[in-house]
Amino acid sequence: MDEGVQKYKSTKSILLQLKDIPVRAEKDDGPEEVACVSNELKRDMGKDTMHLVSYQGEFLKPCPGTKEYICCGYQILNVGTNCPLDCSYCILQTYFNRPNLRVHVNLEEQLGQVFQTIDSDPDKIFRVGTGEFTDSLALDPIIRWSETILRGFSERKNTVLELKTKTANTAGLLGSKYRDRIIVSWSLNSPFISCREEHGAVSLTRRLECARECQSEGFTIGFHFDPIIQHSNWMDEYRKTVDLMDKYIEPEGIIWMSLGSFRFMPALKPIIRRRHPETSILDGEFVLGLDGKMRYFKPIRMELYAFLNELLHQWHPDLGLYLCMESNEVWQESMGWRPETSEGLGNYLDERVRNFFG
Amino acid sequence: MDIDNISELIPQPVPLRDIDDSPGPCCMSFGFDLNPLIQSIEKVGLINPPLLKRDNQGSITIIIGYRRIKALKSLKADGAGCRILSGDDILPVECLLLNLYDNLAVRKLNDVEKGMVLARLIPWIKTLEIVEHYMPFLGLPSNRATLSSYLKIEEEMEVRVRESIACGQLSLRNAIMLLDIDSISRSSIIDLISNLKLTVNQQRQLIEYTVDLSHIQGRPIPDFLDDQSIKEINSDTRMNNPQKGRALIRYLRMKRYPSVSKAERKFKKMISRLNLGKTVKIDHSPSFESPYYRLEVLFKDGQSLREKLENFMREDIDSLRDPWKKKK
Repeated sequence: MDEGVQKYKSTKSILLQLKDIPVRAEKDDGPEEVACVSNELKRDMGKDTMHLVSYQGEFLKPCPGTKEYICCGYQILNVGTNCPLDCSYCILQTYFNRPNLRVHVNLEEQLGQVFQTIDSDPDKIFRVGTGEFTDSLALDPIIRWSETILRGFSERKNTVLELKTKTANTAGLLGSKYRDRIIVSWSLNSPFISCREEHGAVSLTRRLECARECQSEGFTIGFHFDPIIQHSNWMDEYRKTVDLMDKYIEPEGIIWMSLGSFRFMPALKPIIRRRHPETSILDGEFVLGLDGKMRYFKPIRMELYAFLNELLHQWHPDLGLYLCMESNEVWQESMGWRPETSEGLGNYLDERVRNFFG
Repeated sequence: MDIDNISELIPQPVPLRDIDDSPGPCCMSFGFDLNPLIQSIEKVGLINPPLLKRDNQGSITIIIGYRRIKALKSLKADGAGCRILSGDDILPVECLLLNLYDNLAVRKLNDVEKGMVLARLIPWIKTLEIVEHYMPFLGLPSNRATLSSYLKIEEEMEVRVRESIACGQLSLRNAIMLLDIDSISRSSIIDLISNLKLTVNQQRQLIEYTVDLSHIQGRPIPDFLDDQSIKEINSDTRMNNPQKGRALIRYLRMKRYPSVSKAERKFKKMISRLNLGKTVKIDHSPSFESPYYRLEVLFKDGQSLREKLENFMREDIDSLRDPWKKKK
């Protein structure tokens, strides 16, 4: 842990949880750069070390979309960075200059400021999530975010909090009394990708079992097919996942489902090749997108989305499907409608929030 | 001995056979042409005496003058006048710095030599100082990622690859891409690069496409590069090297990006069906990512523009569409 973080409530509670784990306090010397990071660390990114830090940046920040593609206008609550899971496609792999599971232990003390921002704009709906820089629930049994952050979001009428995960760590949530304006969502993929590429995540069936439990316990749920990856038999494989969803989930209780095809900064490719030499996720035809990221050739993306859109639409016609970071052209071709602007997509999702939570 | 007083040392004759001329801890010479120096010594003799170090066991190593000793040995000279320091007089890091400053005063180091310098500095100088002081001094950007790349080239690359970098045939950036593949694959890629004298951009594409295709097809790179189609391009006597280079990259790109290549071909065909002449051009965006196409008209004045646009409008422009879409 960084020097000085002992004073935070969260630090004390975490240390109590990890009684038998060696703890070291040290000065944070800023980002460690590539040359200083050992090969071992680069390979595992320090996933066996938790680093308790006092985060000095803004805790609530808009998702960094680009003007070239339509963004949903999500807000990120930055509770920590890096993740104990090890999905081969994960963008966090480029962050190995900041290794370890970094937990922002001053979150609780800074929540007041977060809510001040939310309260200062009562007409705006803040769709907030913690699953951008880490898995929302992977460390919950230790950090217990579910005990500290739900209440504030649950009590406000102009916000929702989405906890995005690939784990089965829902005990903390289920033990909490807060349900209103809390969305628990799972990232899903085809069984092929889930088995081969989502190392450390629980099986799709387990994720859906948890989703069912949360649903029956009164939580609103969401799903995210992101990243969608083209692979052999991808249609049959994604169909299997939707069939599983049908087995476990009541579709009426799903607030939204995003679809996003695999995209990555060019710098991620050699890292994936090094860390996951057996992966097939880089086999597709990726071209440079207008935002500088590599993404599937446009007609391939359209095909992926159109297929899933149709499949999911057949399951239930009102799932709140939306595309993550796509152009109007791709929206129109694959979804049959287009939001025109990021604001348009934001309005669509805000309307879903109003319909679900009032 | 104060190193400031080295110039006051009187050169003394040293038998060349006593001098260890293997690239030692001070050496920062790689991929050089010895001939100009040999010719110079032949004509005017040794002007600057090398600086040597004699250790307690009596063995002599070179601090400054590695190339001069090499040149003298290839001239079969028996001995040379050299300045000699005792091992106790000077620290290894001082030897290294003496050689570095001596080299930088008279020549530019190639990328391999810069890597040698950095690798030799690492045991003696703090990383931060290397990054902030020595890297700019070597003309390199002052950052640790660059340091890491140079160290890897020095520590992990075979002599053959390092020779290609030193002579400027292989760019450093492309060499870094080669670090991630095995040495046999590296060697087969270097063969193609040097045979066809590929440009920097073509080198990058060759490495990227072959690594990807080898993964996709589950075949080792040398096996993949041994394909009949690649051999045919390589041995086609009707093409010169630049043409072969372009043909090779075109072939690999088509294999790596079949859908994109197909769309590009279809688009080209669609455009070629229109009678646009040489002054009207229609282009697609890179990889068709933008929904828009670009029309370019070259004209002299308003009237010629009108004529060209009228001619253009008479063409079957309604047939233009995204190449992956079916005809309406």
